[in-house]
Amino acid sequence: MQALAELKEQIRQALPDLDVVIGWQQGYDALHTSPLFIRSEEDIDKLVVNEFCVVNPATYLREMRGGKKVGLVLKGCDSRSVIQLLQEKLLKEEDLTIFGFGCNGVLNHTKLQARFGDIGFITSLENDGTNVTVEAGDKKETVPFTELCADKCLTCSYPNTLQCSHFAGEESAKQADSATDKALEDFEKLTMEERFTFWQDQMRRCIRCYACRNACPMCVCKDHCLANSREPKWLSEDVDVQNNFMFQLIHVMHLTGRCVECGECERACPMDIPIMLLRRKMAGIVRDVFAYNAGTNAEETPPLMCFKVEEPTIEERH
Amino acid sequence: MSGSTGLLTEGQDLRIVGFLCNWCSYGGADTAGVARFEQPTDLRVIRVPCSGRIDPLFIARALLSGADGVLVSGCHPRDCHYAEGNFYARRRFEMLKQFLSVTGIDPERFHYTWVSASEGQRWQDVVTSFTERIRKLGPATKMAGGTGYDEECLKEIAAAVSLGDQCPCHKEKA
Amino acid sequence: MRIGVFICHCGSNIAATVDCPAVAEQAKGLQDVVFTTDTMYTCSEPGQNEIIEAIKEHKLDGVVVASCSPRMHEATFRRALERAGLNRYMLEMANIREHVSWIGKNKERNTVKAFELVSIAVAKLRNNNPLYANKFDVTKRVLVIGGGVAGIQAALDCADAGYQVVMVEREQSIGGKMAKIDKTFPTVDCSSCILGPKMVDVSQHENITLYALSEVEKIEGYVGNFDVQVRKKATYVNWDECTGCGACMEKCPSKKNIDKFNEGISKCTSINIPFPQAIPKKAAINPEGCLMLQKGKCGVCAKVCPTKCIDFEQKDEIITEKVGAVIAATGYDMFDHSVYKQYGAGQYPDVITSLQYERLMNASGPTGGHIIRPSDGKEPKKVVFVQCVGSRDPSVGRPYCSGFCCMYTAKQAILTKDHIPDSDSYVFYMDIRSPGKGYDEFTRRAQEQYGVQYLRGRVSMIYPKGDRYVVRGSDTLAGTQVEVEADLVVLAVGAESAKNAPALAEKMRISYDNYGFFMEAHPKLKPVETNTAGVYLAGSCVGPRDIPTSVGQGSAAAAKVMTLFSKDKLESDPQVSSVNTSRCIGCMKCATTCPFGAIKEVTDRAGNVKAEVIETVCQGCGICTVTCPQGAIQLQHFTDNQILAEVNALCQAQLDF
Repeated sequence: MQALAELKEQIRQALPDLDVVIGWQQGYDALHTSPLFIRSEEDIDKLVVNEFCVVNPATYLREMRGGKKVGLVLKGCDSRSVIQLLQEKLLKEEDLTIFGFGCNGVLNHTKLQARFGDIGFITSLENDGTNVTVEAGDKKETVPFTELCADKCLTCSYPNTLQCSHFAGEESAKQADSATDKALEDFEKLTMEERFTFWQDQMRRCIRCYACRNACPMCVCKDHCLANSREPKWLSEDVDVQNNFMFQLIHVMHLTGRCVECGECERACPMDIPIMLLRRKMAGIVRDVFAYNAGTNAEETPPLMCFKVEEPTIEERH
Repeated sequence: MSGSTGLLTEGQDLRIVGFLCNWCSYGGADTAGVARFEQPTDLRVIRVPCSGRIDPLFIARALLSGADGVLVSGCHPRDCHYAEGNFYARRRFEMLKQFLSVTGIDPERFHYTWVSASEGQRWQDVVTSFTERIRKLGPATKMAGGTGYDEECLKEIAAAVSLGDQCPCHKEKA
Repeated sequence: MRIGVFICHCGSNIAATVDCPAVAEQAKGLQDVVFTTDTMYTCSEPGQNEIIEAIKEHKLDGVVVASCSPRMHEATFRRALERAGLNRYMLEMANIREHVSWIGKNKERNTVKAFELVSIAVAKLRNNNPLYANKFDVTKRVLVIGGGVAGIQAALDCADAGYQVVMVEREQSIGGKMAKIDKTFPTVDCSSCILGPKMVDVSQHENITLYALSEVEKIEGYVGNFDVQVRKKATYVNWDECTGCGACMEKCPSKKNIDKFNEGISKCTSINIPFPQAIPKKAAINPEGCLMLQKGKCGVCAKVCPTKCIDFEQKDEIITEKVGAVIAATGYDMFDHSVYKQYGAGQYPDVITSLQYERLMNASGPTGGHIIRPSDGKEPKKVVFVQCVGSRDPSVGRPYCSGFCCMYTAKQAILTKDHIPDSDSYVFYMDIRSPGKGYDEFTRRAQEQYGVQYLRGRVSMIYPKGDRYVVRGSDTLAGTQVEVEADLVVLAVGAESAKNAPALAEKMRISYDNYGFFMEAHPKLKPVETNTAGVYLAGSCVGPRDIPTSVGQGSAAAAKVMTLFSKDKLESDPQVSSVNTSRCIGCMKCATTCPFGAIKEVTDRAGNVKAEVIETVCQGCGICTVTCPQGAIQLQHFTDNQILAEVNALCQAQLDF
């Protein structure tokens, strides 16, 4: 792969000036990657870039604050979280070196599982960009990429890494498959009562492991999350529907105008609760009302951190 | 028993939580009281210094905890005692208001507005119309309690365990 | 905790529609409540004593009073708690009068509601903490911004009381609008004769430092401790040396400058002293007109100056002053009538503003007090006054009444007759507003003794006819349209806020209204205070004011400053935000949303960035608390836990059914 070779070369040249470069490496099987922390030359060859590079390496940045020089290999969507953190002055631009490339979308393990059963049984997988051919047991099936890819890839408008120091390979010409968010649209066809019941059922399953929060690149409060605090005490220790849902609402409100829709929260959820519906809804409102796309311009001010005396896009409430 | 205005229906009051800024809207509610402007009794007011102090999550908390409606009011834009509090508040409330529908909580159950300390009449109108709106919607569906697995779920698990090696997941792996 | 609950009957105000004993009885079941009672008038002396005795007898450490609005009696009951040795912030109130008994007639429901409000108050109180005020020093110096009559009065009163005053005036001389006026209504006193001595007092008072041709650049700090930066603009004249002899003005070859002091009806030299009574009486060069500064050649003034005080190299200077209070007395500007196309849009030379007319009538004005037409210098025989130009007119964004135009128009009409006995005056007016001592008599005198013709109606247009003007308007009393031919038309232009008032308001962190006038802390009860502690207002910066009101407000603002300075130490309100440094991650979002600049960035011993609240600057709005995602910054007395306790008390009650 052209881009991968270029990426490795770029990292090789930049590495002497960096403390670490975060990317992906082959995971425990062909269908998984795991984060790679490149600290020396020999680590570089472990780097992989493929449709299973789902993890957002920017999530590790919050552990890196404090003057470390960090390199990051980022997909377009991942790079938005870095821009958002830069915008909030939680990172310093001079500490970062971003290695970019054109991404053609990543696959969603849950969808694979839904389609082919336990993915441990998948023996081979080939992806030509439009179709994915999967062999599992004695079955062999070819499925359109759009049916197996992550939801975020369907509406992705930023397939190429933004604001990167180095770019490898060709730019991705991938277009959003639809301007609207189909999953959310379908969900919103439900009545209020049905939606409420839906969430009640989903939140009953939530085990409050906080994987969603820990995977979120924007959750910078780290050890000081409201969810675990007594002063203030927003949530009780009870893992019940109310508290679970309240936690989700806290997460959504704290991400208002900040969420870059990388989907890591939902991907990390061991119970497969579709919490991205909530986040995408809020991001859509922010787009509608403030014409603001989080993580696309480090110079902007997040919409809840500023105001206009006259708000032309907010209906006056009498 | 019903009030003389005919606003109240039979039975218990609904649970309407009000968050009012101290300087304008709480004063406006006082003004309405001083003028003896009759209002439905469902509203319970929580006083805060400024609408900028009202975390949208307080509203979410109230709605999740069983409030039938939440009414928020601050100083009119430009008249904030703290100059900018209601400007920030307006953005925060608008986000919540538009967001609520996806959670299945009817956005109509949350209303935010602006009432000044002198607008006793307006306060009466706001409370009356909001209470009427909530009465039309009726009591909110209460979020069921319950942790982790409900009884049905536990039954399923028990059934699966009793199958032992015959459980479908074991079969597939084997 | 040991909480006492006191339910007030307020005579029959509450008891008529709330079953107070039942509420008191039920409140016994609330967590931590150890004592409840109902009393006739809790705010009365026996009522307060009952609280004090109960605190002592039952060892209460928190009190809930269910009575009227906390806006009414919170302070009263807090004092009662203090008298009993409790911290004043261990009080919570349930408003069962304005919010319950007075607005609902159903006693049963009112009683339930009252009880629930009591349970909210108890829930909050269980999360209260004693709060203590910090004491800090006061710098007993005051900054007065604006040297008009209001500012002068405020400065002199403060200075006479023994406090140092720093006065900053934007123009070259103090005196403001009043210095331009010929006579004052209704006494027809010579304006400069009564203002002049006060101006001299300012210049000679040992406690007053005057910066003329200067502007406030920046105000930082808080009540008792403001740091003010003043930009002293370059005058190109060393004012320490200038004696105000005027030799430079006589010889300056550049004589075509618009004379701002004379409202543009005459020209002046580039180096100029605006008027003979100017304070300070010092010359300054207008750099735009000066040949030396523009083209590098001339320097005549430098040659003729007997004290050699001309300095073409002079630059703006920034001066820092420490003060403890600020009085804003920045006055107003005249409405620009050129927006009225139907009145000639400012293009007709003999259609002038009232203030220009004052300069024409003024003995020290450019015409020596002879009223003449600016176009041809002839004496006008027929003068038409048009009132409410830029007042009470929503179509030009000025719906308010400027208040003093009716009076000065009457005065100008009277003076016209004095100056030109064979002249006729006409006044077009909407209503005559003359609510002041001797004011209405004065407008009557204009009509009855001086024969001024008052026509009730608006003027639709003014157009030239030969060398005169036709003023067309309506006479609503006669129900006809009228046309009056005039030699001179005087537009009674209204007042609007001073040009950069909003920018100054932001520097002082005070509010301003839609028109740019500064907002009082309360329009009735705190007319010279603002919502920013230590900043006071006087005169027309709040809205159009006549001279006596401005002077009165100047004194009132001075009195407020003296009250402030009568204490050696001030107490800060402890209901401010406070940062839990162990939770703060130093993102400084709170500082971004704080409207008061009350949060600063500090570095802890480990080198981590943390937010820190400047307690004396914080006004206690709580915007920061909502901004902070970790809840690390909490507004004291309105913490997340306190408000959540209230929400839970209200909502979970329902869940338990």
